[in-house]
Amino acid sequence: MALYHNQPMAHAQEPTAAPIEHRFNPYSDNGGSILAIAGTDFSVIAGDTRQSEGYNIQTRYARKVWQLTDKAVLATNGFAADGNNFVKRVKQRLEWYEHAHHKPMGLKSIARMIQTMLYGKRFFPYYVYNILGGIEEDGSGAVYSFDPVGSYEREACRAAGAAQSLIQPFLDNQIYFKNQQPEPGSQPFIPGNLPLATVLSLVVDSFTSATERHIEVGDGMEIYIVMARDRTTDDLLGEGKLQKGMEIEELGTLGEGQGERTFLVRQALKRD
Amino acid sequence: MNSVLTQLQPSAPHQNRLEEQDELDRTDAASWGSMAGFGNLDRTGGVQGMSIPRVSDPTSFLDMHTDNMSSNPDAKIKIAHGTTTLAFKFQGGVIVAVDSRATAGSYVASGTVKKVIEINKFLLGTMAGGAADCQYWETYLGMQCRLYELRNKERISVAAASKILSNIVYQYKGMGLSMGTMVCGWDKTGPCIFYVDSDGQRLKGDLFSVGSGSTFAYGVLDQGYRWDLTDEEAQELGRRSIIAAGHRDAYSGNTCNLYHVKENGWDFIGNYDVNELWYEYEGKKKAERESQNAAAAAGASPMAVEP
Amino acid sequence: MFLTRSEYDRGVNTFSPEGRLFQVEYAMEAIKLGSTTVGITTPEGVILAVEKRVPSPLLESSSIEKIMEIDSHIGTAMSGLTADARTMVEHARVTSQMHNFTYDEKIGVESCTQAVCDLALRFGESVEDDDALMSRPFGVALLIAGIDEKGPQLYHTDPSGTFVRYDAKAIGSGSDAAQQSLQDAFHKQMTLMEAHSLALKVLKQVMEEKLDENNVQLAQVTKEKGFEILGENELKAVIETLAAA
Repeated sequence: MALYHNQPMAHAQEPTAAPIEHRFNPYSDNGGSILAIAGTDFSVIAGDTRQSEGYNIQTRYARKVWQLTDKAVLATNGFAADGNNFVKRVKQRLEWYEHAHHKPMGLKSIARMIQTMLYGKRFFPYYVYNILGGIEEDGSGAVYSFDPVGSYEREACRAAGAAQSLIQPFLDNQIYFKNQQPEPGSQPFIPGNLPLATVLSLVVDSFTSATERHIEVGDGMEIYIVMARDRTTDDLLGEGKLQKGMEIEELGTLGEGQGERTFLVRQALKRD
Repeated sequence: MNSVLTQLQPSAPHQNRLEEQDELDRTDAASWGSMAGFGNLDRTGGVQGMSIPRVSDPTSFLDMHTDNMSSNPDAKIKIAHGTTTLAFKFQGGVIVAVDSRATAGSYVASGTVKKVIEINKFLLGTMAGGAADCQYWETYLGMQCRLYELRNKERISVAAASKILSNIVYQYKGMGLSMGTMVCGWDKTGPCIFYVDSDGQRLKGDLFSVGSGSTFAYGVLDQGYRWDLTDEEAQELGRRSIIAAGHRDAYSGNTCNLYHVKENGWDFIGNYDVNELWYEYEGKKKAERESQNAAAAAGASPMAVEP
Repeated sequence: MFLTRSEYDRGVNTFSPEGRLFQVEYAMEAIKLGSTTVGITTPEGVILAVEKRVPSPLLESSSIEKIMEIDSHIGTAMSGLTADARTMVEHARVTSQMHNFTYDEKIGVESCTQAVCDLALRFGESVEDDDALMSRPFGVALLIAGIDEKGPQLYHTDPSGTFVRYDAKAIGSGSDAAQQSLQDAFHKQMTLMEAHSLALKVLKQVMEEKLDENNVQLAQVTKEKGFEILGENELKAVIETLAAA
């Protein structure tokens, strides 16, 4: 809003070729991409870390994926300033809720609250595409995707951002088995129950490929993995389970902890 | 006590919409306090505090930055759009059928959108136009219908429910909402459909189709529509119309969701792949032609085949 | 006694030197004039029972409404100036629905109770904003019964805005005797049926008229069916078990 008042005034001394525009333009597109995939008892939410404006890379490490609660992770994409501010407000609302209701907010409640928060700015939208991933009350992995003004839907997977049109068709094919036929005599495909290892390699392939073909994607990648309570972590922490160059860390519980565990995997992407 | 009543009157939505109110500036206890916040709802359940950019013309601001009003398809902020929806009344209730494609420009943003919004056990709303506008306001309508039920100890009529919705969107007329919906249900008067849109139009009718694919749907629908259709025939007509629209309209497609509203509430009939069903219909047509040709070749008159 | 209090009886928000708000205390007295209301928690659900005073045979007893639905999983019974309760119930309903709208989940019973109590002290001379809604405290107490993920719960609210959770609670004119009976008869593993008959038994003890299906009302909140007011036949059945015992 301050931008509006500080717009250069029309005191141009020299004639200009194009008329000076005095319109309020609070938005910018900071590129990058995010994606999330739900498994039966886990959810993977990932994003790259490049932030750019036009052809200019502003930073090679800007966070786009945020741990909200022990069972919810939010990825934001679009205009970074709006995204950061939106996450800040979501976190504040989560805190208020916990004080008022003496429990952490559940995933589907966070999803609905995000809708109302986005829609509250229907006439001055946040330029943010949100993807929420995590564990539902019933222990299942879930992904919710949003448009900038709050329409939302629960899905098995979703990509958003600059490379959405590169990644989503790949996920449709690999996660929803779109345009695939099972081999004669073999089991039919059931979307949404891929093992964690497969999902992780799909995420990595999505981002390395998007990095190759999209100038706004690259530098690094952060993958958050939320595990349902009592789920084994052998397929993640076991010897040789992670690809070369991956670093993993477990994020401590934010609240009292009900057994869900969140891990953060980092991997470098090409920096050119 | 009078002030109690005024506090509890459902206030006009967005009453203070031009007041410069920031989400965090609001001191109403409902914004945090012991209830921890209800977003842009005030304590009466009305809608206030929708933030508005501080510019002289908020509508052109929205138009400039979003593809919301379709006048600016290249805008940065792409808002998901809905496309072919239909609903019709017949002797067995109301059939509601929709496609599931959402487009942002020419990109298929989603092929799994739920364009039928389940307002409650007896009311359905359809989604065409801005996905968020329909989803948000029809959920909000669900809340108002439930409050009506608690206060009056009886279910709201479709007429009253649709009027709540049209009154809400009328408050925002000219500000850029985009919604074309059919509120469908069964009340004391029987099956009922109201068409409500963001211009403030509200029409009662037997048969509506809304969205870019509506012309294609109407073609099939009008051809096959009769009041005394059986349940199966009616469901098939709804399905067939959406398949036709999904086939001919590039902005519609993916799958068809079919609902049937009966006296005891609505039933979800099924989800059908538009592409697969289209080939199924083509296959049936081909088989019919072949059997007719075979009958003709055998020298029998086609009429004789009929029992 | 009233002589010494009189100076502090005027302003509804004025403390007495002993630190009391007389108007709030008088409001609590108003409840003791109200009809007796009982609530009992069981592992299966919570029940509410009220006495309906029918002073005239010409009065249509079904028009007396002392148990109200707040949401499908929460109900309330009242004692005192029942007209005041309408404001509170309306607020509770709106809050519950707003919670459902904003968070896509049912409101907790405690949160709903808290919302009602937030209203209780909004009285007095209107200050700069219109936050002060009422000229006097509410003259009604509520028993709020409900079920959420924490199980069946029963809360008691009073005009001071305090709320407390009870296993079993009686309010209204016969509350002292009724509470004592509840204390003697209540146990944690009660069935819903036992609770129904206990509630009626307690009411019967304190009621002046003979208890029948026209001068009491029963309601329950169960996990399976949520809030429901018992119909005439169900009510009669409970009354019969009472007579048989």
